[in-house]
Amino acid sequence: MELLHNLAVGFGVALTPANLLFALGGALIGTLIGVLPGIGPIATIAMLLPLTFHLEPTSGLIMLAGIFYGAQYGGSTTAILVNLPGETSSVVTCIDGHQMARQGRAGAALAVAALASFFAGCVATMLIATFAPPLTKVGQSFGAPEYFSLMVLGLIAAVVLAHGSVIKAIAMIVLGLLLGLVGTDGNTGGTRFTFGIIELTDGIDIATLAIGIFGLGEIITNLTQPPETRALIAKKITRLWPTREDFHRAWPAVLRGTALGSVLGVLPGGGATLSAFAAYALEKRSSKHPSQFGRGAVEGVAGPESANNAGAQTSFIPMLTLGIPGNAVMALMIGALTIHGIQPGPQIMSERPGMFWGMIASMWIGNLMLVIINLPLIGMWVQLLKVPYRFLYLAILLFCGIGVYTVSNSAAAVLLAAFFGVLGYVFTRLECEPAPMILGFVLGPLMEENLRRAMRISSGDPAIFVERPISLGLLIAALALCVLVALPAIRSKREEAFQE
Amino acid sequence: MSVGGVQNDFPHPFWRMLARRDVLAGLLFIGVAVLGLWLSRDYPIGTALRMGTGYVPRLLCWLLLGLGAVVLVQGLREAQDARPLSSSDVSALRDLIFVTASLVIFGLSIERLGLIISILLLIGVGAVAARGLRPFETIAAAVVLIILSWGIFILGLGLTIPVWPEW
Repeated sequence: MELLHNLAVGFGVALTPANLLFALGGALIGTLIGVLPGIGPIATIAMLLPLTFHLEPTSGLIMLAGIFYGAQYGGSTTAILVNLPGETSSVVTCIDGHQMARQGRAGAALAVAALASFFAGCVATMLIATFAPPLTKVGQSFGAPEYFSLMVLGLIAAVVLAHGSVIKAIAMIVLGLLLGLVGTDGNTGGTRFTFGIIELTDGIDIATLAIGIFGLGEIITNLTQPPETRALIAKKITRLWPTREDFHRAWPAVLRGTALGSVLGVLPGGGATLSAFAAYALEKRSSKHPSQFGRGAVEGVAGPESANNAGAQTSFIPMLTLGIPGNAVMALMIGALTIHGIQPGPQIMSERPGMFWGMIASMWIGNLMLVIINLPLIGMWVQLLKVPYRFLYLAILLFCGIGVYTVSNSAAAVLLAAFFGVLGYVFTRLECEPAPMILGFVLGPLMEENLRRAMRISSGDPAIFVERPISLGLLIAALALCVLVALPAIRSKREEAFQE
Repeated sequence: MSVGGVQNDFPHPFWRMLARRDVLAGLLFIGVAVLGLWLSRDYPIGTALRMGTGYVPRLLCWLLLGLGAVVLVQGLREAQDARPLSSSDVSALRDLIFVTASLVIFGLSIERLGLIISILLLIGVGAVAARGLRPFETIAAAVVLIILSWGIFILGLGLTIPVWPEW
C-alpha cells in the first residue's frame, strides 16, 4: 500500500489551490501552443523556463509538465479541424481525423481524441507511479561507471530513434557536451572556453541556449517559409458524442495505442511523436478494413492520440528516476530543476517526495482538466487559429528577449541568445537536429563528473567500464545500436519507417 | 556563416560542392573542433586519474573533429548536388539579420533605456522581418505587448527591470 500512500502525498501537494492553478495554467498554455502552428512545446517551455525561476520548484514543474501534455491535446484539435498538425506528434491524426471532420463527424473525432488521450494519460500516470520507485532503486545502486555508461547509452539511443543522419546527430551531441563544459570547472577551478567574458564563467544557462536555439531558431525558420493557407472547416460542430459503433471500434485501438505509447515513451529519443507514428502503423496493419484508413477510420484517431499522450507522459520516467532526459523537453525539465539547485537523479524521490509525487498526481489532474475544459472550448481554440503569425511572431520575439534577460538580469545573456538563434537557424538549414545538442548540453557536466569518479575508483584504468557487468551491458547495448543503424538493410528500413 | 556567399547557380563546381548541406555541416563541426583545440591549448590535461581542466574538452574536440570529417566525406561523396542549398536560403538572410538585430538592440538597451523603450525598439526592428505587417498593426501590437509585459513581469512577478530610462 506504499503506492496509495505515495499517491496520497502527491494529491495533497497537487490539490493545493496554487498548484491546481499552475496545472490549469500549464494545460491551457499547452493547449494554446498546441493549437497554434508555428510554435512548439520545446520553444514554449524554453521561453517559460525563466518564469519558473520565480516560482516554487514544484509549481514550476507542474506548469511545465502541463504545457507538454496540453500541447498533445491542442495539436490534435487543429489536426482534426484544419488538417494542420499543431505539433509533430499529431501529424498522423490529420490523416483520418480530418477526413472524419469533412464527413461531418468532427465532434466525434474530437471527442474520441480527447477521451483516448485522457484514458492513456490515466494509464501512463499509474505506470509512472508504479515503476518509478523500483527504477529509482536500480538507479541508486549504480556507481559512477554504470552512470557514465548509462548516459552513453541514453545519448546514443536518443539519436538512433530520432530521424535524420546518425553521424550528424552524434556530432551535435558532442557539440552539446562541449557547450555544457563552458564555464568554471567545478573540480579544478579552471575556466574553459569563456573567451574572457565574465558572464560565461558561470557557464551557459540552459534557458539562454534553449531560447536561442529553439525559440529564435523557430521564429526565423517560420518567417522564411511561405505563409500557409488555413482552410477552416466552417461547419458548426453539432454532435460531439461518438456513436456506439465508434466506441466499439475505438476502444481496442486505444488499448493498443496506450500500451505502445507507454513503452516507446520510456525509451530515450522516444516520446510523443514516435509513439503516434508507430501506433498509426500498428492500427493500419492490424485492422480488418485497412482500406478505410485515410478515409476517416476512427481507429486512426484513437490509436495515435492515445499513444502520443501515453508516450509524452511515460517519457518522464527516466527523467524523474535516473535524471536522464530522453528528449529535448525532458532536458529542459532537468534545466528547470537545476535552476532551483536541485540535482536531478534517483535521490529526488527520497529527498523531495512532495515534489515527485505532487508532479505525478498533477499530471492526472491536468489530464482530467483538459478533457473537461477542452471539449467545450473547442470553438474558442479554433478562433485563435485566425491570429496571423506576424502578430504571434512579435509576441514570441519579445517574450524570448525578456525571458532570457530575467534569468540572470544580464544583457550579455540576451546577446548570447541572439547568437544561438543564428546558430539554431544554421543548424536547421544544414539539417542538423538541435535536440540531441540539448541532451548533450544537460548531460555534459554530469558525464565529466562521473567519468572522473570512475577513474578515481579504478586508479585511472579505463577498463573499469568493461569490467563491471552492468556498465559493460549498457555499453554493449549502445554499440549494438550503432552497428544496427550502420547496417544497410536496417538503415533503409529505418528511413522507410520515418517516411511513413 | 558560410551560407552568406552562396547563390542559386554556382558557376564553379567547387562552390557547387561546397554548397551541399553535409559538406557545410562537416566544415562547421571541424571548425568548432579546431577552435576548441586551439582555445584549450593551454588547459592542463592531467592524467586519467587526475583529470585536468583540459582533459575532457580536448577529448571531445578530437571526437568532434573525427565526426566532422566523416560528415564532410559523406557530403563530398554524395551524388552530384543531391541536396544543395537553394536561393531561398539566401533570401532568408534578411529575416535572420533583422530578428537577430532586434534582440541584440533589446539586450543593449534594456538596462539603460528601460523596458518600454527597448520593447519599442525590438518591435520596430523586428517588424521589418514580418512580412505584411502594417504600420497601424505594429503600433497596436507594441501597445498591447508593452501593457502585457509590464503586467506580467513588473506587476505580476515583481522583477527589478528598469521601466523608464535612467538619467
